[in-house]
Amino acid sequence: MTTEITIELDINGRSETLTLDPRVTLLDALREHLGLTGTKKGCDQGQCGACTVHVDGARVLSCLTLAAQAAGRPVTTIEGLSAPGGELHPVQAAFLEHDAFQCGYCTPGQIMSAVACIREGHAGSDEEIREYMAGNLCRCGAYPHIVAAVRQAAEMAS
Amino acid sequence: MTLLDTPRKHGDASDGGAIGARLSRLDGKLKITGAATYALEQPVDGLAYAVLVPATIGAGRVARIDVAAAKAAPGVRLILTPDDDLGLQPATDWNNVRASDGPYVPLPRDIAYNGQPVALVVADSLEQATEAARRLAIAYEEGPVTPGLDSPNAGEGSPLDQLSVAWGDAEAALAAAPVRVEAEYHTPREYHAAMEPHGLIARWEGDRLTVWEPSQWTHSMARSYAEWFGLPPENVRLVSPFVGGGFGSKGFSYGFGAIAAAAARRLGRPVKLAVTRPQNFAAYGGRAATRQSLALGATEDGVLQAIVLRGASETSTVGTWVEQVGAATPLMYAVPNFSARQRLVAVNTVTPGALRAPGKTPSAFAIESAIDELACAVGADPLEIRLRNYAEEDPQARKPWSTRRMREALAEGAEAFGWARRSREPRSMRDGHQLIGWGLATGTFPVIRNYGEALVRILADGSAEVVTGATDIGQGTYTILAQTAAEALGIPFERIDVRLGDSALPGAPVAGGSKLAGVMTGAVQKAAIAARDELIALALNDPNSPFRDTGANTLILADGRISAPRGDGPVVSVGELLGRIGRERIEVRRDTLPDHLQTPEGRFRAWTTMTTVQGPTAGDYSMHSWCAHFVEVRVDEDFGTIRVARMVSAFDCGRLYNPKLAESQWKGGIIMGIGMALLEEGLVDSRNGRVINNNLGDYLLPTNADVPDIRVIDVGIPDPHASALGGKGVGEVGIVGVAPAIANAVFHATGRRVRRLPITLDALV
Repeated sequence: MTTEITIELDINGRSETLTLDPRVTLLDALREHLGLTGTKKGCDQGQCGACTVHVDGARVLSCLTLAAQAAGRPVTTIEGLSAPGGELHPVQAAFLEHDAFQCGYCTPGQIMSAVACIREGHAGSDEEIREYMAGNLCRCGAYPHIVAAVRQAAEMAS
Repeated sequence: MTLLDTPRKHGDASDGGAIGARLSRLDGKLKITGAATYALEQPVDGLAYAVLVPATIGAGRVARIDVAAAKAAPGVRLILTPDDDLGLQPATDWNNVRASDGPYVPLPRDIAYNGQPVALVVADSLEQATEAARRLAIAYEEGPVTPGLDSPNAGEGSPLDQLSVAWGDAEAALAAAPVRVEAEYHTPREYHAAMEPHGLIARWEGDRLTVWEPSQWTHSMARSYAEWFGLPPENVRLVSPFVGGGFGSKGFSYGFGAIAAAAARRLGRPVKLAVTRPQNFAAYGGRAATRQSLALGATEDGVLQAIVLRGASETSTVGTWVEQVGAATPLMYAVPNFSARQRLVAVNTVTPGALRAPGKTPSAFAIESAIDELACAVGADPLEIRLRNYAEEDPQARKPWSTRRMREALAEGAEAFGWARRSREPRSMRDGHQLIGWGLATGTFPVIRNYGEALVRILADGSAEVVTGATDIGQGTYTILAQTAAEALGIPFERIDVRLGDSALPGAPVAGGSKLAGVMTGAVQKAAIAARDELIALALNDPNSPFRDTGANTLILADGRISAPRGDGPVVSVGELLGRIGRERIEVRRDTLPDHLQTPEGRFRAWTTMTTVQGPTAGDYSMHSWCAHFVEVRVDEDFGTIRVARMVSAFDCGRLYNPKLAESQWKGGIIMGIGMALLEEGLVDSRNGRVINNNLGDYLLPTNADVPDIRVIDVGIPDPHASALGGKGVGEVGIVGVAPAIANAVFHATGRRVRRLPITLDALV
């Protein structure tokens, strides 16, 4: 398996051409090849949600997605959610205000999931938020504050 | 001496000032934008990627490893196996003891547990290393396996006489007691499961080693690497600016680190080793399984006469870890007769380790369940029985509590929860098909003290920096140290920067034992006051200072500006003053070490071992944090499914440096306790000692959907004996007592007393 493939990825509105081992996941392409380490590797087997990014606007586990599968489709990572040095996305601002994280390692995945959760219309109540955010584990136990942050951001968006 | 009086603080919002304010995290913006760079994310050129290969037998030895196929795989640069002499020496342990019997061998031929590393494969890419690792042909000679504490061949283990505690005549008093409750309680293996897996990047430059590795204790881990490789301590730098959760697992260097660093040295190229999620269940140990036989003897009114505890916990066959099941038992209640003993049973597991509130957590599960059983036996309310047996002093040390606001915790928790509306009988509250149970349990964690060192810089632009090697694993070190410096310096919080997580920086103890905040706020305050005093002295005395001729003998530094106390002189910003007197910065380094440790050896020992730690009863008082948890569970009558519906917990942790962050830690501890009560259990294959559920889908952690609304209440007051600024420990006490509170609530809901964690539906149907 020495064959490499060349793909074009659309990451946060920028086109990136990569020559890669075809086994490289989208997560490793971001972290190891593009220096976009905001997307986290918590389990590498689709169980924790830390690697959540948006592909075609929907939340996706980048550890279970080959980089090649994302070729030509718009990918948004935590680094692309708000402009560098610009205003925070309302979900980010709400996370900061409500202390919806401690160690911060699951946080980019939580935020990407939360943005999608609100966009999907699944942030109508605390119960619904808990259910639709349940795929993103947080061992620090920030869940009550994550719910509060998502609720606030959802209310602002509506 | 200080030129300014520090105003007395009371620990509430009325103080004003930065300490005690509900500020958002200093490092928050970096974490929510993805800009916080964790250990394995450091940009290092020329990386090779390593993959660890774990043993698939529970005990025995590696007969041979055929590396030919792996070596021939594309991109492979190096394979290390037990056939390789890595040339390492033993490292000093936390007791400052260094083994002298031969080399340190992190890739031994003998296998003591399933998952033990047997090889490391290094290649140009992760994909290549992963593929090559699969091609290793490993032949084992299997030996007999003791998979766990309750295995038939585990035996009774060895007594731990140093942990025996006794006063009065507990056996006789128990025999004579009119009321006795006796039962056996079990807790399983539990795992840290921090969201950031372990791993490291190791880079050599000549005989200098830099290690980027998540760390709760940079100085001690750097020392381990230096000793393994026979280097002077200053040749190793361990860097860990952000840590994705630790919970006790990231305080020490482990064998995989030694192997990866040895590989990097041999290759002459930096190596990144990411320990995979399944490997995180055996690369270092979680909480040891425990069992406790606990007997309470009491009067017919439920007044305790005797407590007898006989406990056991597991360790490995190659190392010693004691999960002290009697850690909380002697502290909780006044009792005239007490006896506790513990045995240690060696099984084929990785050596267990410290997991959030080690000892206290399983200990509280037994005593706080048993006291509930006693309440039932004598027909008392669970809150009332705790007041009847209230410990007015430390029953073991016979010392007064420094502060113990347990009565307030029980009262305020009960009020907020509505405990008075609880009906006494089990199965007496329901909502349709749901049986409702209300349970209560209390918790404790000791105040542990140590020493720290910090550097404070006041810079020409009027901002300031705090620098120390302590780490922030999510508990909020960055934030509270900035708050401490802001208040001591009179410079706004927003103008303070904090640098942490690097063994090249000033010394600090482990971020563990809930002590780092108390230790490091003390060190930072000391350094900051000294820096402020130096600035004021310059302002009063420097020929170019505008204050030189004002006749003032002291000055006020507030909001980044210096003025005379009478308010009639000039008002100058800190930056402006430094400019006028021609100074680029004021820099002060201070530590809190006592005189006898003010030597190079003493400092090194203080920053790299546990030998300078002072326990909760080292002084005139017994010092602990306390809490009371109130839980409502709902149990489906037909299916036995258990949901925690709501919780109220009240805490006495002394003064809070930042209530917003402290509440997050309390809730986090509580949520880990929900996991312990209902979900978490390492399942071991009895044939080969393998942890079967070694992943985050099968080792169940609480998810967002498992966690209800949690209300936390602060009942603490500043404790001047506990720390320089009056705080007690915050990070661990939250988990202590949650599991028994839930078990007690399950009993109240169902009438079933479950004494084996986790409580799953099969115990209820």
